[in-house]
Amino acid sequence: MDVELKGRPLVSGVTQGTALVSRNPLSFLGGVDPETGTIIEKNHDLTGKSIKDTILCFPHGHGSTVGSYILYSLAKKKTGPKAIVNETADPVVVVGAVIAEIPMVDKIDITQIETGDEVEVDGGRGTVKILKREKPCT
Amino acid sequence: MHLTAEDERIYDGEQGWAYQTAMKILVKLGDLFEADKLIPIQSAHIAGVSYKTLGDAPIEFLEALAATGARSKMASTANPSGLDYEGLMGAAVSGNIREKQAKIIELYERMGIKSVLTCTPYYISKPKKGSHIAWAESSAVIYANSVLGSWTNREGGPSALASALIGKTPDYGLHKPENRKPNIKVKVEPELRNEAEFGALGINLGKNLLDKVPLIEGLRSPRETDLKQLGAALASSGMTSIFYPCSHCPKGAEKLETVTVDRKNLKNAFEGLSTGSENPDMVFIGCPHCSLSEVKRVAEMLKGKKVKKNVRFWVCASRHVKAKATNHARTIEAASGKVVSDLCAVVTWLRELGVDTLMTNSAKTAYYAPTLNKVNVRFATLKQCIETATI
Repeated sequence: MDVELKGRPLVSGVTQGTALVSRNPLSFLGGVDPETGTIIEKNHDLTGKSIKDTILCFPHGHGSTVGSYILYSLAKKKTGPKAIVNETADPVVVVGAVIAEIPMVDKIDITQIETGDEVEVDGGRGTVKILKREKPCT
Repeated sequence: MHLTAEDERIYDGEQGWAYQTAMKILVKLGDLFEADKLIPIQSAHIAGVSYKTLGDAPIEFLEALAATGARSKMASTANPSGLDYEGLMGAAVSGNIREKQAKIIELYERMGIKSVLTCTPYYISKPKKGSHIAWAESSAVIYANSVLGSWTNREGGPSALASALIGKTPDYGLHKPENRKPNIKVKVEPELRNEAEFGALGINLGKNLLDKVPLIEGLRSPRETDLKQLGAALASSGMTSIFYPCSHCPKGAEKLETVTVDRKNLKNAFEGLSTGSENPDMVFIGCPHCSLSEVKRVAEMLKGKKVKKNVRFWVCASRHVKAKATNHARTIEAASGKVVSDLCAVVTWLRELGVDTLMTNSAKTAYYAPTLNKVNVRFATLKQCIETATI
């Protein structure tokens, strides 16, 4: 059965995709390459990974408010995430999601989500549904 | 959050995409911080002007906003850029950089935001005591709350711009009287002797207070420009956006948790701001941008001296202040210094200008320049800066 996590609706929109989950806060200014969507923040658990078309799950943002514009730029270049899921949203990422029109939910226990999970985010209802979990390698 | 009927219509897109997006930013921020309404503001101050710090990302967004014809609802100002209008910086950077910087400024202008580019907009027009404003630029925010008595949160570039377009801000944080009350007392033991010591105190406090609201006891009749240095530093190393200086603290203060700053704490903070002791290739005065009295002080101290040939001596002030300080600017220029407007050393291309070591009396600049500009810093008083730079 699907697991549905209930959080707070922030930016509306419904989308499905593959989860990319981080345990570290993320700064979009300086932390993500605005051309490619690759995470370049040093000492980050996702360094080198691309956020393009993912359901990007991380605790919260940090750093400069220019980060909001980076999210807009990523969305325009189609290198941004499909949706954003946070534990505790911060103004930089919320404003970025608003202007980039990226569905966003917070107050979600992101430890419930694993990288590779197929998930559906409903930003208007504030829900994250885990549709399919990738089988662990044996 | 409660919205007026007109705000609802803007939110639904009746006035077009730009105003709708601005309204959405304010409403979502309001939701995030549990505001129950939007309140009108008297002015907005926008950060996010320098192409060096912004890069290309915001240009598309600003272009899309400006293309709709959206305009600021009230007189709004903007932060310094990476270039000055007289072209002192221009030769050091490529034509592409100059074009991009000009483009950003032009886009803000098209939205009705004055291209008077300064981090001290209060020297041009002082917001009224008790008025609600939406300012970005942490040094201006803390000055407005603590010295001018106007009320603002620490806005980011996008939220201040959204507030300018809508003329309102969500009612939370420092717009609420209960959040402006002091909740810690700082006892400063040593007498602070100059602007640089005020800055060093700010760096020490910012690191220790995080976002607390301090009463600061022991500051003996500080000048407003000393409080400007203290606040700018406090907001750089910490998240505090308001403080209360007092020579004798009001009743009830004795009940607050108290921390003490002694001479040794101050000395450590002061010395910790220098990364080396090399001869500077640039002396930078004017972070935050100088007031008329500060330009005057520099001019008086430089009179009859000459800046060494291999040193750039920059005094940054807004065009507005510079226009009032023509005689002082002449004195500074006679000593081979420059009064520079529209620009801030920290958000410009110092390495491209050939700067390895920057000397400054600004604790905020000393705090940021080693990482943002990759230069060595010597932090000192104005007097020491002038002695070092001149023959």
